[in-house]
Amino acid sequence: MNLSFILFFFVKGLEISAPIAFAALGAVFSERSGVINIALEGIMIVTSFTIVWAAIALHSIWLGLLFAIVAGSLIALIHAVVSVTFRVDQIVSGVAINIFAVGLSRFLSQKVFGQETQTPTNAYLFPRFLGINSMAFLLIPIALIGWFVLYRTVFGLRLRTVGENPEAADTLGLNVYGLRYAGVIISGALCGLSAATLFPSQWISGMTAGRGYIALAAMIFGRWDPVGAVLASLLFGYADTFRIMFETKIPIPGQFVQMFPYVLAVVVLAGMVGKARAPAADGKPYEKGED
Amino acid sequence: MSETLLEMRKITKRFPGVLANDEISFDLLKGEVHALVGENGAGKTTLMKILYGLYSPDSGSIHIKGEKISIKNPKEAINCGIGMVHQHFMLVPPFTVLENIIIGEETQRFGILNEEKPAKKIRDLMERNGLIVDMYAKVEDIPVGIQQRVEILKILYRGAEILVFDEPTAVLTPQEAEELFKTFRQMTAQGKGIIFISHKLDEVLEIADRITVIRKGRVVKTLEGKEASKSLIAELMVGKPVLLEVERPDVSPGRVILEVRNLDLKDYRKVAVLNDVSFSVHAGEIYGIAGVEGNGQTELVAVIAEAAPMEHGDILLDGKSVANWDVRRRREAGISHIPEDRHRYGLLLPFSLAENLTLGMHHRKPFVNRFQIINRNKIQEHARRVISIFDIRTPSELTPALALSGGNQQKVIVARELSAEPKLLLAAQPTRGVDIGATEFIHNQLMEAKKDGRAILLVSADLDEVMSLSDRIGVMYKGRIIKEFAREETTKEEIGFYMMGEKEHGRN
Ligand SMILES: Nc1ncnc2c1ncn2[C@@H]1O[C@H](COP(=O)(O)OP(=O)(O)OP(=O)(O)O)[C@@H](O)[C@H]1O
Ligand SMILES: [Mg+2]
Repeated sequence: MNLSFILFFFVKGLEISAPIAFAALGAVFSERSGVINIALEGIMIVTSFTIVWAAIALHSIWLGLLFAIVAGSLIALIHAVVSVTFRVDQIVSGVAINIFAVGLSRFLSQKVFGQETQTPTNAYLFPRFLGINSMAFLLIPIALIGWFVLYRTVFGLRLRTVGENPEAADTLGLNVYGLRYAGVIISGALCGLSAATLFPSQWISGMTAGRGYIALAAMIFGRWDPVGAVLASLLFGYADTFRIMFETKIPIPGQFVQMFPYVLAVVVLAGMVGKARAPAADGKPYEKGED
Repeated sequence: MSETLLEMRKITKRFPGVLANDEISFDLLKGEVHALVGENGAGKTTLMKILYGLYSPDSGSIHIKGEKISIKNPKEAINCGIGMVHQHFMLVPPFTVLENIIIGEETQRFGILNEEKPAKKIRDLMERNGLIVDMYAKVEDIPVGIQQRVEILKILYRGAEILVFDEPTAVLTPQEAEELFKTFRQMTAQGKGIIFISHKLDEVLEIADRITVIRKGRVVKTLEGKEASKSLIAELMVGKPVLLEVERPDVSPGRVILEVRNLDLKDYRKVAVLNDVSFSVHAGEIYGIAGVEGNGQTELVAVIAEAAPMEHGDILLDGKSVANWDVRRRREAGISHIPEDRHRYGLLLPFSLAENLTLGMHHRKPFVNRFQIINRNKIQEHARRVISIFDIRTPSELTPALALSGGNQQKVIVARELSAEPKLLLAAQPTRGVDIGATEFIHNQLMEAKKDGRAILLVSADLDEVMSLSDRIGVMYKGRIIKEFAREETTKEEIGFYMMGEKEHGRN
């Protein structure tokens, strides 16, 4: 094992972690505002389709990214309308969106490209750096910005207040619904970056493969903290990288090896019981003007 | 005299089926404490929520310093100089004191928080009003009395001149209440006006310059503090004379019903919350636990009532260990429980009174038949009987529990728990937030239960209540019973000191 191999392992791991990490970061914002966003998986499906579609149609991956961010925000907006304004159970809303996203992406793929389960390949890609998709490197500044926004800005303080005690926020004159919308939409927008780092060359049905859920696990393991969530995502991402790179060298059936990151997620979360604490009002719809 | 800060004119507010405020007129002068008293459901909180923009009145007007204004939401109320310390604290426990104070009113540059300027302003407010708090402590780590200071600082920080306190002393020790009143005086000396809601008439008499009594949504009378007396206010509130002292029946205690031996309990963080607690309660005896909230009382009751797992020790009911029994078996064996949080543990709020009144007995005859099918007629019949015995004010037994006033909700729980005819009654904060009429009633019911030979464990943050009802008193501090008294051999002040742990280490 030489030095360049080790370097490759490190950057490759970053690339593989990035889609999970961006979504986990998004989840932090949503849940800190008090909205559980299990719809991440579905949002990621839609953004990964959108980025390919828009890049092919507009001959630019940057426009693709822009559209993916917009699409992610719009799907998140649906989640916000349903679960914040109409106070539908957030899990139910999220699951519905996940099911809807699968159908929507397949429907659009059929309409646009005449194929239901995959798009043609997209040749407009992000520049590469150190042998990987350069967008993956954005993860580090964005995680730090996320941390700064959450803990050092007025917006962040208010967002966290709404997730902990919406009644108190209301009596202080904060806009509870507005802040929750913001939290959820940020999570959708960040799923645009997940799409940019997942596989912008092509969309294939099922390609997100549960990364939205892994992102939620990472967020919990990261204790609802931006930096924690990203570090946890890196743990899962590197575990997966390890699997990919050494799968063929281990005498265990491939299916078991592929389970590795998920088993890791379950084990890690089970070990977290009683330690992490969710925002007090996480998952609870808030009705204005009530005692 | 001095200038009028606030005038509320003919405020009317109707909720479905209830006229909560009926042409209430109320005013507040500069530098005064104006108390607002009345039975549960009289409309005090509603009036204050209207003032704070949480409800909009159906008619009537609000004038501040002579100027008519409309307040549509709390933000506008804050801008008009109105601040409110709510019945339930509006704090964010994992945040620091400083963060809690500045939320919504932050000092910022380009959206980035600045904590230095606010810190300076807060330090100044703390000094001027005698509200010393560690600004960088997390709210969840400080005691309730101090949390209340944070609430007050929060509204002072917003420049409030009209301060509303909705039952602020319900959670305080007598010493803390005195501190609060000192702060009141400091604030009124600065020309602020204070509206003070309380069910504790002694406090009202002590601090209020004027007292407005409301009954069933209407103003009965506004009294000068000096001309008022406890019995006069009580009579105005209830509409008939009220007996303020409980009559303590002379019952000689019987055999030991509850015995708690060397109980240890740790919370999920492995911090000891109960530490070698031992005591016993006899038949026909009321054993009162005094203590500042959060010193293990909640856990103690939970261990006895709800089969919460304990570290070490034993619980005996009538000589038999119940430590390994589940809740149902304990209830069947004769343990009843009035839980401290009536909304979360005492009632199923959307369910009817009839259903709530049979909870815990619902699986027994005559409420179910052989096949465990519920017999509605029997349940409703039982409910009607209990409602009339316990004087629960409700339109019918089919009304959902959430439609009742706090005092009546509490009566429902007391009625249910006593109608099970227990050997042991665990009464946790039985009259919290309950008006004098209902309090009197509940106290009398406890005395009746005592006469019937039931053992009663009373836990209350209200020291007056503990003092007036109990035969023996144990003071809890940091998970221990640090002192046990017979009622006659102690005073309120002495117990207050023990409650604050000041005599913890044998300093006596
Ligand atoms: N949001 C609401 N919807 C319907 N009815 C309500 C609502 N809020 C209050 N009420 C009713 O209005 C009446 C007045 O209630 P309010 O809370 O103002 O009483 P209160 O004087 O503060 O009583 P307490 O001493 O128990 O706090 C009660 O009958 C109550 O049931
Ligand atoms: Mg009230």
